[in-house]
Amino acid sequence: MQGRWTDNKEVGLAMHHSLRSRRSLVALTAAVALSGAALAGCTNTGTPTSTNAGGGDAVQQTVKPDDNGPTCTLDQYGGTAIDLSDAVVGFSQSEKEDNPFRIAETQSIEDEAAKQGVKKFIKTNAQSTLSKQVSDIQDLIAQGADVLIVAPLNSDGLEPALKAARDKDIPVITVDRKLNATACTDYVSFLGSDFIEQGKRAADQLIAGTGGSGKVAILLGASGNGVTTDRTKGFVDEVQAQAPGIEIVAQQTGEFARDKGQSVTEQLLQANPGITAIYAENDEMGLGAQAAIIAAGKEPGTDIQIYSVDGTRNAVEQIAAGAYNGVIESNPRFGPLAFATLTSFLAGDAVGQDIVIEDGEYDPSNAADLVDNAF
Amino acid sequence: MSQTLTVALPRRATVVGFFQRYGVYLAIVIVLVVNLAVTPNFFTLDNVRVQLVQVVPVLIVALGMALAIGTEGIDLSVGASMALAAAVIPLYIGYGVVPAALIALACSLLIGLANGVMIAVIGVQPIVATLSLMVAGRGIALLVAGEQLRSVTDPGFLALGRGAIGPLPWSVLIAAVLVAIVAVLVSRTTFGKQLVALGGSRRAAELAGLPVRRILLVTYLLSAALAGVAGVIGTARLGASVPSTLGNLVELSAITAVVVGGTPLSGGQVRVIGTVAGALLLQLITATLVKHDVSDAYSQIAQAVIILLAVYIQRGRAVQR
Repeated sequence: MQGRWTDNKEVGLAMHHSLRSRRSLVALTAAVALSGAALAGCTNTGTPTSTNAGGGDAVQQTVKPDDNGPTCTLDQYGGTAIDLSDAVVGFSQSEKEDNPFRIAETQSIEDEAAKQGVKKFIKTNAQSTLSKQVSDIQDLIAQGADVLIVAPLNSDGLEPALKAARDKDIPVITVDRKLNATACTDYVSFLGSDFIEQGKRAADQLIAGTGGSGKVAILLGASGNGVTTDRTKGFVDEVQAQAPGIEIVAQQTGEFARDKGQSVTEQLLQANPGITAIYAENDEMGLGAQAAIIAAGKEPGTDIQIYSVDGTRNAVEQIAAGAYNGVIESNPRFGPLAFATLTSFLAGDAVGQDIVIEDGEYDPSNAADLVDNAF
Repeated sequence: MSQTLTVALPRRATVVGFFQRYGVYLAIVIVLVVNLAVTPNFFTLDNVRVQLVQVVPVLIVALGMALAIGTEGIDLSVGASMALAAAVIPLYIGYGVVPAALIALACSLLIGLANGVMIAVIGVQPIVATLSLMVAGRGIALLVAGEQLRSVTDPGFLALGRGAIGPLPWSVLIAAVLVAIVAVLVSRTTFGKQLVALGGSRRAAELAGLPVRRILLVTYLLSAALAGVAGVIGTARLGASVPSTLGNLVELSAITAVVVGGTPLSGGQVRVIGTVAGALLLQLITATLVKHDVSDAYSQIAQAVIILLAVYIQRGRAVQR
């Protein structure tokens, strides 16, 4: 080898170079893999791990009563009757499953599909990318999906995918976020919470808890998100109507994230030392606010009250511990309701176009008993 | 015969140069004066503490970013390094605070290693190499965490984020020590001189026989390690490991802090104290906007204007040169 290359110094150098690179790369890869394996083998969390991620057999969703809105039947929508046990069911999840809501939602739909014994269940995750959700849905159709359950990433933008489903008369049930499209034409029904109502109920909890007076700061969700707009509107309107003694001193976005909720609350508590309560538009920001209140040397739950919307286990546990005041649930367990709706629809019965779910609520009187319902 | 009197007017270039060099400090003074006039409770010890505590993660990340930018590179994967460190903490906190923190740092060093190997050995452009780890690193962090948020309740660990020695929070103290170390590293060590030389002209550095690959590798290791420290402190402050959101967009804040602080994106210079000032300025501006309940849309625009100004100043310097 040496003899062959000595006459061409440049090639020899290059060879040497790439060999050395490769050797060090191999060594590095090995080191990475070894240390990874070594670390993975001996974790020590120091606390018993709780295993209620999916909230498997916790409370299921109930349809809100006296829902006499428009309905939809198989005849109106078009398409063929099929038994669920012969059907390929596709589920398109919108966001990354890095938050409890999405994890519980997917788990619930997957569990119910297994329980109903569908012929085949296929799920996709758009990873918070709209274009991926469009192609996900088209893929599901290409894979022979007979019915689709879609958790839309956005109210708009799924038109090409919906059209593909429409062309094949595939029934589409949308969950949790409502589409800007015509029910019973572009899709069958929408299953979800009334976000304005959630904001209103959070306001009712806060008014009751504070006695209808004091200074309140709102931690808004992500800007430009329909959920943020609705939860704000419901809350602000209710406070103005029911509790003129409550002053809303700030509305700042915490982007639905715990760390943003924390840093924004720290700033607000500094600027407005008189704040007596915080309304966070999801639990994560509420828990961030709780950390900020502790850092400011005050007692969360007593000195400054915290109310939020979601119903995650972490927040409900804090209510039970007395360091959090109220949570309005936004129920993610769409599985049973979605499949019940599909079953009656495919059997030719009329189903509601807007199926609004009854969300629960947690307060200090029930949190300890209901903590296992949280997701 | 009339006597001529010459007055030494400062040359225009000198004035521009002054603003380029000291603009960030001037801006801090302006923001402070504005707040003195219009923001209640701004000049209190508690508020100073809040601002310092909040600036710590971005500041620490920006120190590493300044080094990467000094080599004419960039490190977009710092948020992922933070997330990975955060994801690892709850898995090992049972061994104690120090071991858990060290393991977290080791994990973020793996990201630095991958960056360094790609950039120094294989020759991938820094923006591409670190972009790939920005995406992959957070994915790995989510996998490590089982895509779950975990509360961390170890009191010793929480003290790291919330505790203080006298009036000085631990996290601020750690940041101050790191600033001092990086400042000495850049200005007083061979490595620092080599880093700056490499950023000035890679070709010249290679011809001069500098260990270019080693410098690059160490730079990206340092950047990842500093981001790891920020991830550990951020987790301690939250009392929870949130790999899905911790450090989101921190790379942009860090780059802005570095650039506003006077380090040119073209490399060959590292301004450590300027970077500190840049991070502080961003923090103070955010604080001012939040305290006055300015809506999100306007505060985003305000931040964009500041970045534009910084870039404009950078452009001025390049032209001058």
